[in-house]
This record gives sequence, C-alpha cells and structure tokens, in this order.
Amino acid sequence: MAVPQFVGKADLVKQGAEGRVYRAQFLGKPTIVKERFRKRYRHPVLDEKLTHRRTVQEVRSILRCRRAGISAPVVYFVDYTSHCIFMEEIAGSSTVRDHIVSTQQANSCKELELQQLAERIGRILAKMHDEDVIHGDLTTSNMLLRCSSQDTESDLVLIDFGLSYISSLPEDKGVDLYVLEKAFLSSHPNTNVLFEKLLQSYTKSSKKSPAVIKKLDEVRLRGRKRSMVG
Amino acid sequence: MHLTRVLELYPDTRVTQILYKDVKNAAELRRKAMEGNINGALVNPTMLVGPFQVLVAANKAVHLQTTGKMKTKTLNAEIIFNLSPTNNISEAFKRFGISDGDHSILVVVVHKSDEVQFVSDISAMVDGQQLPVDDVSSLSDFNKIKKEEKCGPLLDAVVCRMAIKDVL
Repeated sequence: MAVPQFVGKADLVKQGAEGRVYRAQFLGKPTIVKERFRKRYRHPVLDEKLTHRRTVQEVRSILRCRRAGISAPVVYFVDYTSHCIFMEEIAGSSTVRDHIVSTQQANSCKELELQQLAERIGRILAKMHDEDVIHGDLTTSNMLLRCSSQDTESDLVLIDFGLSYISSLPEDKGVDLYVLEKAFLSSHPNTNVLFEKLLQSYTKSSKKSPAVIKKLDEVRLRGRKRSMVG
Repeated sequence: MHLTRVLELYPDTRVTQILYKDVKNAAELRRKAMEGNINGALVNPTMLVGPFQVLVAANKAVHLQTTGKMKTKTLNAEIIFNLSPTNNISEAFKRFGISDGDHSILVVVVHKSDEVQFVSDISAMVDGQQLPVDDVSSLSDFNKIKKEEKCGPLLDAVVCRMAIKDVL
C-alpha cells in the first residue's frame, strides 16, 4: 500500500496516544500527515469504527470551520484505509502559548497586545461555536499565529481537530470553554484578567452565548475539589 | 510548457497537464475522448484555479483506483469528478468536463513511464494553441468558481472541499 510506505520515509514530528504526525513534501507543498494507527489492544471491529469516525469528524470539523471563515489547515487528501490526513503545514508560525510566554518574559508593556489577542481568540471561538463545532481540545498550543510577510496582523489558525465534533448543545460548548480555561490558566499563571477579556469578547460576539456561559458557570462548580452543594 | 509531476504516493505514476486555448474542434475532441481515442481527461480550464487543484484530483483518483473505490467507471472520469465540490457525477461532468462549444481545454494524462511522446500526439489532434500550464488562471472564470467558501485564498477553499466532500 502506498500511504504507509510514504509515511515510513517521512519525518516523524510527534507521536501521541491517538496517532503520529509526520512532515513531508506532497504534490510540491510542505505537508503534515496525521496518521491514526491501529490500536491492537482494541477489538478490531471497534477499532476500525472508532478510528474511521474520528478521522471523518476531524475532517468535517475543519471544513465547517473554514466555511465559517475561521482559519484552519487546508486538507489536501484523506486516505480512509490507513486513516491518514494530509494537510497544509502552517509554515513560519508560533503557537499562541509560546507567544504569550515570550511576551510575558520580555516584561515590556505588551499587556494591551495580549488583551487584543485574547479578544481575537474570543471572537473566533464564538464564530466556531455558532457553527456548532466543538473543538474538544482547546489549548493555547492548538492555536497558531501565522506571520504574514507584510506588517499586517498575523493570522490566528486553529489546529488539531482530532477530538472535535458537531453539537448545538450549550453544555458541550461550555465544556469546550472550560477545557480552554483550565489549560490557559495552568500554562500561563496570573492571566485571569486576560482570560476574562477572552470570555467577554466571546459573549459579545456569539449569538448564543448566554446559555453557554451559564453552562460554563455550572461546569466550573463540578469537578475535583468542588463542593456540589447547590 | 506541459507540466509533469510524479505522485509521491505512487512513485511509478506521473500526471501530465497540457493546456490549450483558441480551440476550434472541441466537439471532435470530446467525441474522440468518449470513444476512447484520447487517453486523457478533458477538463474545462475556466473552472480551474491552478494546476495544484488538478494534481489533488488526480492523486485522489489514482488512489481510489488502486484501492478499488472509484465512484465513476474510468480513471479519467474520476479525475473530472474529483474536481467538483459536489458528489453528483453528472453535475461534475457538465461543469468540469468540456462542452462542444468550449474554446479552451486542459488535458490531464496519468501515465507510468517518463516518455512524453503522447504530448505531441495529443497536440496534433487539437486545433488550438498550447499555453504554459501555469497560465491556467488567466483563463479562469472566477465568478463561476466562487461559492460559499469565504475563508482565505480561493485555491485553499476549493482544494479543501475537494478533499473532504465524500464524507460531508
């Protein structure tokens, strides 16, 4: 089979529990190949169904986001036999995580810039949730800032839709935001104000935000070390 | 002038694109293609954004042929079908295949060896002028091509749609 051979010669970038990510040249473009390999600890029929479903969901969510005007990697080719997704490599970019860390370390008065970034993220997530796309793994490592050649604002690109799905439920959107909140506050200490700005921007931009924020507040009361006394 | 590329996933397979404008015998070429006398897909270049789009379609077609999962009956038909953003085969042919009154044609040939003799064979059949394939965007009718895709460059939107349409 062609794809496994191709992937065998490509550069492995990362391996996670779910799959492997490679870099390669494909049809003349720098490409990322995401391979969901077979899990032999699972029953084969279940494994095939799950892996196929996750691949399909990932690809559908990317397309839905793009159609709503949200930047996400362009998908070039999907092989449903080996469950590989060939997509655009976002060149010359840094993660939002790295950007925030380096901006904070530089200790200059870049508070305003970070707040504007937080507001942008809030707007984009509002758009995404209004399209009923749940990202599923919102962290600052899954958001890229693509630097453009001119001095224009860099493009904010969402990546890693591996756990994403389509849902209109405020609960699911609330949980999506909760995941981001937890990841944000643990990766970037002392950024509560920044995250608040993000949520404010989200609330302003999303048409369905009241229900979602209400659910977010409810979800925050659940979980570890939380009193469930109503 | 023509553009040949090896498919990375199928290293013994090549895709060659040849572009013609001011074509006067589109009807005859279409008939020849249907009779099986031209071993290539005849594509309407006014619907194309660039050569990369054709490569993506051809790559997918070769892959589906190898795994026995083509939606159409021949490789050339599959290439034309893959260019379309929808899953309707007749619609794909109407929009991306050539019609009798067309004045430009892009011929796509999938072949094994390095030989390019067939390029001159095909050019001999076409009553028109050959153009460099990279000039295809000069023939594009962007109004026809633009659909709901709002994000970023048109080529990205088109290619992404082509790659994912089978699971929409």
